[in-house]
Amino acid sequence: MGSGGGRMDTVRLRERLAGSASDAGSPAADGQTRARYPDEDGFVERDGVSVYWERYGDGQPAILLLPTWSIIHSRFWKAQIPYLARHFRVVTFDGRGNGRSDRPAVTAAYADTEFVADGLAVLDATGTDRAIVVGLSMGGGYALRLAAEHAERVLGAVFIGPSLPMGIRWPDRETYPFDAELDTDAGWARYNAFVWRRDWHGFAEFFIDQVFSEPHSTKPIEDGVGWADETDGETMVIAETAPYLVVSDGGADLRGKAATLALAARVTAPCLVVHGTNDRITPVGVGRALAAALGCPFVQLDGSGHGPDMRDPVKVNLLIRDFVRQVERGTR
Amino acid sequence: MIESTTIDGAEERALSDDGGRAVLPNDSGFAAGPDGVRLAFDVYGAGDPTLVLMPSAPIIHSRQWKGQVPYLSRRYRVLTYDGRGNGRSDRPTDPASYHDDRFVDDLETVMDATGTDRAVLVGLCGDGVWRAIRLAAAKPDRVLGIVAFAVGVPRIAPAQPHYVASSKVFDDVLPTSEGWAKHNRHHWRRDYADFAQFFFSEITSEPHSTKAIEDAVGWALDGSVDAMLADADAELPFDLEGIEGICRSVQCPMLLVHGSEDTCQSPARAHRLAELTGAPLVIVEGADHMIPGRHPVKANLLIRDFVESLGGRSR
Repeated sequence: MGSGGGRMDTVRLRERLAGSASDAGSPAADGQTRARYPDEDGFVERDGVSVYWERYGDGQPAILLLPTWSIIHSRFWKAQIPYLARHFRVVTFDGRGNGRSDRPAVTAAYADTEFVADGLAVLDATGTDRAIVVGLSMGGGYALRLAAEHAERVLGAVFIGPSLPMGIRWPDRETYPFDAELDTDAGWARYNAFVWRRDWHGFAEFFIDQVFSEPHSTKPIEDGVGWADETDGETMVIAETAPYLVVSDGGADLRGKAATLALAARVTAPCLVVHGTNDRITPVGVGRALAAALGCPFVQLDGSGHGPDMRDPVKVNLLIRDFVRQVERGTR
Repeated sequence: MIESTTIDGAEERALSDDGGRAVLPNDSGFAAGPDGVRLAFDVYGAGDPTLVLMPSAPIIHSRQWKGQVPYLSRRYRVLTYDGRGNGRSDRPTDPASYHDDRFVDDLETVMDATGTDRAVLVGLCGDGVWRAIRLAAAKPDRVLGIVAFAVGVPRIAPAQPHYVASSKVFDDVLPTSEGWAKHNRHHWRRDYADFAQFFFSEITSEPHSTKAIEDAVGWALDGSVDAMLADADAELPFDLEGIEGICRSVQCPMLLVHGSEDTCQSPARAHRLAELTGAPLVIVEGADHMIPGRHPVKANLLIRDFVESLGGRSR
């Protein structure tokens, strides 16, 4: 019988694929296989807090994929790493509070300045002099401070759905206090210390559902909630009140929009801001305002939510690639 | 000659997900076969050999291969067409137009119209796989090989129990329209969209399938209930012995791919076809019926590896 090479045994495809993947590296704790495993990984320690990092690829220049709010960890870059690492050196790390990094029990340990210092320590540990920094959501704040205060390490910065205090917020997020016990846990009332301690998983399901507002997002939602389950409500309550983008200006501290604008004014590196029009966490106007403050290009992703890295990975990857190449050529 | 019933303006019909394609055809047209029914075809790429991605008609149309066309057409010449009864093709409403032979004629008609002497045939379920086997048996010179997803050869193993049960009462007015009672003539007439939503949800049971289901339901609703009923009323002109004889007579290389969780076609049919033909069988663990749509990378690489295994020796 002419069947290519004669009679073959039945092949059970998933077992074969899983077998070859696990030969190439170690499966993650969640049991998922990866399209690419790190070429190098390790920990940096600062003030007794251990932070886990990974390096993929070694092309030039380097890209630092920053952490974001510690509700998730570095796997949120899973759709960027395999593509970008084919062209560039990609360094990422788990933000303190989640993943394989420590969960310090002190609020001050979660200041944005600590995440920035972790990023610099990871650059040092990987022998990376300078990098393009890429931040999503709160990671946009870390990217902004890195670019403003550590210009010698930053070749350029990409801000994706940046969550910055620009005075532009969804009205329904202003309604409820964080520290008071409420008689409701409907909607954004779940953004509350008592709810987090009582039902962190339930909050995570609500929040991640808001992040991925596009249709057909069940897989990113499942991933995101799974990463949120790797931290806990108590840790997140401790981290919640840490300073974020406070800038000292002589004797006084600048906060909020004034601090953001002061940092933006100091940025000299080329920048790019990308923001989805259907972002239910941070309105698209925040990204637009940041781009205006930085005087940099703004790419509006029509219909995208707060997680275009996972939900529109090809667009995001090509935007990052093109930006990096323009920076390399000095055309941006 | 059977009279075809053409819906006015069918050529201009906007299909449900016709926006934004990864690759556009480099040739499109209509071909009319022996009974005059016009079939809309598209040709992509210019490589060798030609792959015909067979329609699963009339329930859906050629966009069912949207996950295959862009990848495969980079390497090969890819021919797709809307099967009679859906898409931009004509939609006759008499059962004779859906006789098994007409679907085999359509395949040859489209191959002739596009100057395709021989091709690798890629099919899904009964509409795709069985008609590919029939052409390979009848005209071995025209078929270089067959990739059979969700092996839908009728009769060679029992149908899934929900089909056996619902088919017995397909013409009856039922007291319920729950579950597989939706697979019913009267329910199709009453609420075909409800059937389509149910059916494609049932046979695409993997997690994270909302897009694949939405697409398939859209393609079903691009079609016609009258065509579906006419197709359902067409008798299959072969008994078990005849079907097994045709399968055994196929000489070209084949690859069988079946989901371990296929709700539409029992894996037993894939195992039986492997016995009848000696063809290798890949069981995709955890997969349901719509493997090319739901697992496009696996499907594409299996097709590519199969085509490469032919080694050009029979091209």
